[in-house]
Amino acid sequence: MAITGIYQSGQVSGGRLSAKVSEVVAQNSKASLAAALLPVAVTLVALLVPVIAPYSPLVPAGPAFVPPGHSGFLLGTDSVGRDELSRVLYGMRASWFSALAVIASGLAIGVTVGAVAAVAGGWVDALLMRITDVFLSLPGPVLAIAVVAALGPGLVHTLIGVGIVWWPFYARIVRGEIRALAARPHLEAAKMSGVGPVRRTLRHLLPGTLPALVVTASLDIGNLVLTLAGLSFLGLGAPAPAPELGAMSARNLTFLLQDYWTAVAPGAGIVVLALVGNLAGDGLRNLMKDR
Amino acid sequence: MALFILRRLGSAVGVIIALTVVVFILQKISHTDPVHALLGPGASQAAIHAESVKLGLNKPLLSQFFHYLDGLVHGNLGISYRTRRPVAADLVEFLPATAELALVALVMAIGLGALFGLLSVRGGIAARIFRVVMLLGASTPGYLVAFAGLVFLYNSLHILPATGEASPGGQFQTGFVIADNLLAGQLGGAWDGLVHAILPAFSIALVPAVSIGRVFKSSLEGTLRSDYVRTARAKGLSERRVVAFHAIRNSVGPALTMTGLQLGLMFAGVAVIEEIFAWPGIGYYTAQAIPVSDFPAISGVTLVLGAGYVLINALVDIAQSLADPRIKL
Amino acid sequence: MRRVRGVLPVPGWEDGMAMPGNTGAPVASVKGLKVTFERAGEQIFALRGVDLEIAPSEIVALVGESGSGKSVLGLSLLGLLGHNSKPVVEGTIEVAGAEIGSLTEAQLRRLRRESLGAVFQDPMTSLNPTMRIGKQLAEVAGSAEACVELLRSVGVPDPARRLRAFPFELSGGLRQRVMIAMALAGSPKLIVADEPTTALDVTVQAQILELIRSVRDRFGTSFLLITHDLGVAATVADRVVVMYGGRVVETGRAPALLGGPEHPYTRALLRSRASLDGSGPRRLSVLRGEGVDSHSDLPGCSFAPRCELAFDGCSATPVLGSFGDHQVACWRAGSAHSPFPEDDPGEQAPAETPRSRGLASVKINDVAVSFKVGRGGSQLALKALRGVTLDIEPGGALAIVGESGSGKSTLLRAIAGLAPIASGGVEIGAGGKVQMVFQDSGASLTPWMSVEELLEERLAVCGVRDRQERRQRILEACDSVGLYRQLLPAKAGQLSGGQRQRAALARAVVVAPEVLLCDEPTSALDVSLAAIVLNLIADLRERLGMTLLFVTHDLAVARVVADHVAVMYLGEIVEVGTTEQILKDPQHPYTRSLIDAVPESGRLPVPLKGEPASPLSIPAGCSFHPRCPSALAECGERPQILKVSPLSRGHFIRCEPVLEELTWR
Repeated sequence: MAITGIYQSGQVSGGRLSAKVSEVVAQNSKASLAAALLPVAVTLVALLVPVIAPYSPLVPAGPAFVPPGHSGFLLGTDSVGRDELSRVLYGMRASWFSALAVIASGLAIGVTVGAVAAVAGGWVDALLMRITDVFLSLPGPVLAIAVVAALGPGLVHTLIGVGIVWWPFYARIVRGEIRALAARPHLEAAKMSGVGPVRRTLRHLLPGTLPALVVTASLDIGNLVLTLAGLSFLGLGAPAPAPELGAMSARNLTFLLQDYWTAVAPGAGIVVLALVGNLAGDGLRNLMKDR
Repeated sequence: MALFILRRLGSAVGVIIALTVVVFILQKISHTDPVHALLGPGASQAAIHAESVKLGLNKPLLSQFFHYLDGLVHGNLGISYRTRRPVAADLVEFLPATAELALVALVMAIGLGALFGLLSVRGGIAARIFRVVMLLGASTPGYLVAFAGLVFLYNSLHILPATGEASPGGQFQTGFVIADNLLAGQLGGAWDGLVHAILPAFSIALVPAVSIGRVFKSSLEGTLRSDYVRTARAKGLSERRVVAFHAIRNSVGPALTMTGLQLGLMFAGVAVIEEIFAWPGIGYYTAQAIPVSDFPAISGVTLVLGAGYVLINALVDIAQSLADPRIKL
Repeated sequence: MRRVRGVLPVPGWEDGMAMPGNTGAPVASVKGLKVTFERAGEQIFALRGVDLEIAPSEIVALVGESGSGKSVLGLSLLGLLGHNSKPVVEGTIEVAGAEIGSLTEAQLRRLRRESLGAVFQDPMTSLNPTMRIGKQLAEVAGSAEACVELLRSVGVPDPARRLRAFPFELSGGLRQRVMIAMALAGSPKLIVADEPTTALDVTVQAQILELIRSVRDRFGTSFLLITHDLGVAATVADRVVVMYGGRVVETGRAPALLGGPEHPYTRALLRSRASLDGSGPRRLSVLRGEGVDSHSDLPGCSFAPRCELAFDGCSATPVLGSFGDHQVACWRAGSAHSPFPEDDPGEQAPAETPRSRGLASVKINDVAVSFKVGRGGSQLALKALRGVTLDIEPGGALAIVGESGSGKSTLLRAIAGLAPIASGGVEIGAGGKVQMVFQDSGASLTPWMSVEELLEERLAVCGVRDRQERRQRILEACDSVGLYRQLLPAKAGQLSGGQRQRAALARAVVVAPEVLLCDEPTSALDVSLAAIVLNLIADLRERLGMTLLFVTHDLAVARVVADHVAVMYLGEIVEVGTTEQILKDPQHPYTRSLIDAVPESGRLPVPLKGEPASPLSIPAGCSFHPRCPSALAECGERPQILKVSPLSRGHFIRCEPVLEELTWR
């Protein structure tokens, strides 16, 4: 007659299970925090790459096509005998900082445009948002390719091209968040309190956009790393000898079936960076949700 | 309702016009000189001057723009520096193969996205596995998936072909290999086309599938917590019916919007994958144009794909508003 | 407090068919039910051992404040507990002869389909927004004919046409009728209704309560009516079950229990409730202490920490024992009467305190406000206020009452300068410093700023430069609203509902305003908390000499806080006068209907037909005439004018026929 257990699932257990659940929850938020801090660790490692990398990324260090793990080359060597590990590490460093640079510029432009539009309202809002919408409703990579093709290849041009298509997301988010926040009673309460418009914006509005921005930006690290790798694969990046992950995979495509590591190792570097970005974004989102 | 459709289409046209302005400006600041590129390094001064006049480069900027716009309306996208043919003609040749590949990829992305979303809200072991799969899927560049496919499925297991959109000797009129063969009643040919498309399409579809799946999952989770789903359960409906009739219907909106957005984001992947698989499509065309700075080709691709993307998203919006009884104007 | 020992005039009571408790086995029986949840790693004790029986065709009202576990008990009966959080359940739940814990998921669904029905609080979100009413009904009722029959039985006009409607196309009252029709499908033995009228206007609430009663009478369905409102419980229930801290503390026949409560908690709850009785502004008696700590197991009596009668014996869990004509779970049940003298301080009028400061008057002169809704070609003007004139004397307290769409909040916002005034003006005498307390106090505090930062900001804006002085005044404000000083560094998310409202009040009065505007500050609070906040506002008004404008949908609250009442309908004032005039001798048909619709112990609410019209399509002539019980033919042609009553200066009525009648009286 009496029931002691859990509805629906039919498991018969009491306190033991609940203790386990609380453990899992606590671990979860610890794991989220750790994930959220991953980008900081990666940035530090990226700064230290010149110290860590065993060889120069540009000068041959041994015979060509040494398989991974042989003669002290952890990831082998490429077609001219350069150390693959060093090249991948330098490539990751370049990808990471490129992604951060695009996000920083995107945030700078996007937050400014979005905040100005939302706070000013009226025709300023209409104009800025119309421009933003035009950019948002165009396919980003296609536009980026066109911009880089017009400017000519090169890492800086690629960053400019991607930067041009990357800010509208942030402008939309900031404007949307501010609009949503502005409709909340706390803004009217601040107004009733006699707080002026400038302080209202800086103190009662903008901080509220932070969670959404932080989560989106960190999830974007992964997207950007992938997008930049794709463009680099197509030849839109730093020119030839520079260690760029996408370009390395593209140039070593011909060796894929015999000396797979030359093409695959740079791709694995991309996966690591994108994973860090995605894990951090998920972790941050979990942390923000808990609050 | 009609007003909404008109307004949505009107804004799409506005965006396309803005796109032509952007492309025109890019053309102007382009580092390659069109006259130089067309005539080659050995051209005489007189020939260069004559060509500039022919292209209207000595006229004011605004009239150049209208000249350019006039050309676009008449299907003139300029001459490719590389193929020396009209870009419009090139695009007609290369577009079908990309359209077919993109369609297969889109179907895969939607199918996988729906699967990811549905399975990851169910909880349990399956959800955990799918979380890892989605995380990896969102972090892997398409070309690495293609590499893996080539190494294992082509080179080791010989299950799938490596390049092209059909086996040598395959019969087809346009780049629509599958469609052409189906229309001609050649099931074998259509199957051959599909087999060729599987690996490239999957490589393109994985990242969008995860994005769609994530959005679908979170909107599904929200819906499953809603009051009306509780009502449906209180009615004694089966969980399957609750999910199928009450939850999914109210969750597909955001996933659909995401699908439209992903179409645009897919293109960099399409170019890379077509290059790898020597797929005779627009991406391959673009990839070939980039190293030689063939700007007319790239701007043509940008215009055509951009316009297509804008129209597709307008249609997605309109379809969604037609499906939602609450939107009425 | 009125004490009714006799039988209440309740319909269906006399005719025997609905006599509860005498027709065989109970439809639901709960024994020793304990439910514990897991949230953020902490245990939440929702139910701490509950026994409950519901007889065939009995309406049982489950009354309690938030955290009492009443909704969890309702979901337990429906077998719906485990869907979103996996609780640990002990005890037995028997519904319609089936033991819920032993059923498979399929059997449970069948039980819900055949023997149970559910009605939830918000009919807008509880119906699938993208599915037609007919389809949602057909999922449980089968054929279209059956759907039409169901809709007809719950009083939905033109049922066949409504089948094609989507939920958003129906009014709130109709939606709730559809929910009840859905619950009725399959002729269930028991319907669990969780706060079914809380989201509705008072006139519509009366209609729905009448419907519940009539459904029981016609079909013999039992109801478990979950409510926080003792008035609702008093008017429809056969039996009332009072819950506190996850336990049943008292149960008995509705009239007996509400007329002569035994448990100290029930008594405190009844006494802290604002009611239409009594005269003049007054303080409500309040419960001391904080609500139940849901994180601890609370052995013994849940209420003991707040109980004035608590003694050592209360550390043992009391069981329900018969006491007189009802059952009480209290060790001191017998002695409960003595410590509560009839003339307790809660009923006394507040002592007049000398007012130290100058007072401001508020003059509202023909104020009109309208908003544009929709966009582009289909823009409509929503006339929220259509010429409102009011004169509030310095130090006065005016309650503005009305249903949704009456414009009462817009009026307050127009005075505050938060709504754009299209024509007319607001004049505030003296210094004219105005502060406002919002309905959702949590949302009115900036989430990422601490209480201290918010108070400090207010002081800085008002030119208090000295840090020492600011600190001093913040602490004083804290004390004056009863906010613990330790809570100053806390942010809104870390405060409880009552603490948030205190913090919002502290911010409003840290620099004393001359006029305090209150927009339903207690409507989201539990009864005992609302009493505290109402008293606090009255105290502050006395001490700081503020003029008070108080918007509320609850006439009983108006009675407690105000000396004058203005009744609004569709953007106009239909009647205004002293609280005494409006509540004891209402003249306008709308005011009368509004008062008749209030659920109060000892009388039946009289529902007004129809629902408030939308301010987007205001009826021609007298805007109330389509619903007016005494409308004449010419009422639809002539707009009415607010005129002074021939009987009393200061009493204004917007109804020509009534004014004429009064003249001849």
